Amino acid sequence: MSTPVLAAHAVTKHYRLGKREIPVLRGVDLTLQAGERLALLGASGAGKSTLLHVLGLLDQPTSGQVCFDGRPVHDLPIAERARLRHAHTGFVFQFYHLIPELTALQNVLLARMMASSMTGYWRQRGAARAAAKALLEQVGLGDRLHHRPAELSGGERQRVAIARALLAEPRVILADEPTGNLDSHTAAGVVDLMFSIQQQRGIALLLVTHNEDLARRCDRIVRMQDGVVLAEPTGT
Amino acid sequence: MYRLFLAVRYLLTRPINLLGMLGILLSVWALVVVVSIFSGFLVEIERHVRSASADISVGDLPPWAEWTPLERALRDDPNVQGLARRLVHYGMISRPGERPPTPPLLGRTALHGGDQPFLLLLGIDAAAERDVTGFAEWLQHPAIPADLRADPQAPLAAPDGRPRVLVGLERLQRDGLRRGDVVVLTSGRLLDGPEGGRGLQQITLELVVAGAFKTHHGGFDGNNVFVDHGVLRTALHPDRPDGVQEIAIRVRDLDGLAATADRLQRAVARVLDRGDDRAFGRVVTWREKNGQFLASVEHQRGLLKIVLVVIMVTAAFLMLATLSMMVTEKTSDIGILTAMGGTPGGVLQVFLACGLTITAAGTALGVLTGIVTSVYLEEIRQAVLWATGIDLFPLNVYNLDRVPCSLDPWWLLQVAAMAFAVGGVVSAWPAWRAARHDPLVSLRGA
Ligand SMILES: Nc1ncnc2c1ncn2[C@@H]1O[C@H](COP(=O)(O)OP(=O)(O)OP(=O)(O)O)[C@@H](O)[C@H]1O
Ligand SMILES: [Mg+2]
Repeated sequence: MSTPVLAAHAVTKHYRLGKREIPVLRGVDLTLQAGERLALLGASGAGKSTLLHVLGLLDQPTSGQVCFDGRPVHDLPIAERARLRHAHTGFVFQFYHLIPELTALQNVLLARMMASSMTGYWRQRGAARAAAKALLEQVGLGDRLHHRPAELSGGERQRVAIARALLAEPRVILADEPTGNLDSHTAAGVVDLMFSIQQQRGIALLLVTHNEDLARRCDRIVRMQDGVVLAEPTGT
Repeated sequence: MYRLFLAVRYLLTRPINLLGMLGILLSVWALVVVVSIFSGFLVEIERHVRSASADISVGDLPPWAEWTPLERALRDDPNVQGLARRLVHYGMISRPGERPPTPPLLGRTALHGGDQPFLLLLGIDAAAERDVTGFAEWLQHPAIPADLRADPQAPLAAPDGRPRVLVGLERLQRDGLRRGDVVVLTSGRLLDGPEGGRGLQQITLELVVAGAFKTHHGGFDGNNVFVDHGVLRTALHPDRPDGVQEIAIRVRDLDGLAATADRLQRAVARVLDRGDDRAFGRVVTWREKNGQFLASVEHQRGLLKIVLVVIMVTAAFLMLATLSMMVTEKTSDIGILTAMGGTPGGVLQVFLACGLTITAAGTALGVLTGIVTSVYLEEIRQAVLWATGIDLFPLNVYNLDRVPCSLDPWWLLQVAAMAFAVGGVVSAWPAWRAARHDPLVSLRGA
């Protein structure tokens, strides 16, 4: 078996509330292979989002390791983690998190600007715009480029968020209940889109969901309860 | 890159931020315009004071000081071009048969001199004075009407034996005096009485008005009259034909003014040395002589600067309020920016860039409008006068013919630097708050 692109080894996460230590993750082991589609299921409060944040280097584990391409990355300096996050990980959240002041196109382009200097971006602005437009067309929003988030429906907003997550050409997409806010018909459309792009580009996808049907469409299902992974069936 | 892009987007979608910019703009504008008017004013009055002063004056001379040895010593200095002795005394002038008025003289201003009946009598040697001060020009100022002009060659000459007097133009006109009118000078002198006691001897002189003089310094014109040195000396010190009270000096090279004054001070001290510890005579440059007056205006300018800087700080608080509002509103964006590869430092820079952009725009516009306003001040005054009848800057009060203005690039730079310092501090706090915001809080919530 090849090295997983992303892996958690004995990851724990405690939150401190006043004097009390609240264990949220209690020794999680999880691997995500390149190009794999993994569903993470679990009751509310099980620690799914927390795990996702730790895997995405948005949060640091209390103990344990997070490895990217087999390399421990969880305790790298903050700037280095930010760079890795930008270069390799795309996030899709339940609440889209688009920036309301920016048009759809600008929201997507922002992903490219994040890591570029002023002059660097200026030199490649044409290519960046073309790539962002192509992505928005791919998610079916070719005619909504200059709409603000407020002028888009929930499904359309999530498509913009997906396009944004893809622009930096990440190797992993971490999606936290991406359809949690959408009606089932719209949700199906968004999921189909995400799966097809994921497959087409060979991106690893970690999908947090409450939807069993959706989970079944993944290569593998992992269930969490009270901060531990219940059973990770080995092999596929 | 995203920092500036987001900052500009955030600002453009929030017109409320214009308030902060407006605050900076107005305070920068005021700092530029008001201070440049004051500086211009300072330049003007310095010019006015200068025009009424000799380069160097020697004063504080003891009663026994003698002109001949002092003149010889002073003329020895290579930088001395000419010198004139003066007698300085005090008195009141009235028409014959009238009592001198009681102070204060209503309708007259202290700024122009002449708000009280007392005058300084300057006893001068007209020929020598012409070489040393602007005396000749004072007599031929274009504002003096022909019938009030004195003979420029010998203004104080008294062919009929009746002593002459030159009065400041404004005072002359206010008192309704004409050339040839007779005025009575009332003064007095202290006498050394028996057993150390002292008495006052009244002096009354009939003087014929020879004409008017006018310097650029209204205060000088209103407070001084010129009479012949010999006339005044005979009246005051009949026993000391070689007496001297003040010496006006013109130098060849103005660059070495202070050094020349130092040298002359030593020369005067040598002449007046009587072997005891006391030093007599004080040599001052024109600037030192009027130092208090110039310093008072400069001091006012300084106070004004403080007031305006305080206003700038107040304006900056407005900016602080709008920026804080914006940061509170935009914390929801901090989560996704972090997820996309942003760092707390980057977030800080986004909001700092917002504040600095506001500051930069406000400062640039403020300096620009300030310069334009300063340059066209006189035109603006005329326009306002024409449109509303309100005179923003009554020139005659200040003896000026246009609104003064002096733009100092160094001051502009200082204003811009202050605006940036204040704007920077005021932006830094909300930006720092944004950077400390936990991105996970925004990511978990809606
Ligand atoms: N900052 C925090 N401080 C203290 N406790 C926290 C904090 N963040 C999360 N928790 C707790 O951690 C636990 C797990 O939260 P998490 O969001 O990971 O659950 P989840 O599995 O994603 O749930 P859901 O399905 O509802 O999204 C919860 O009990 C929550 O209260
Ligand atoms: Mg969750």
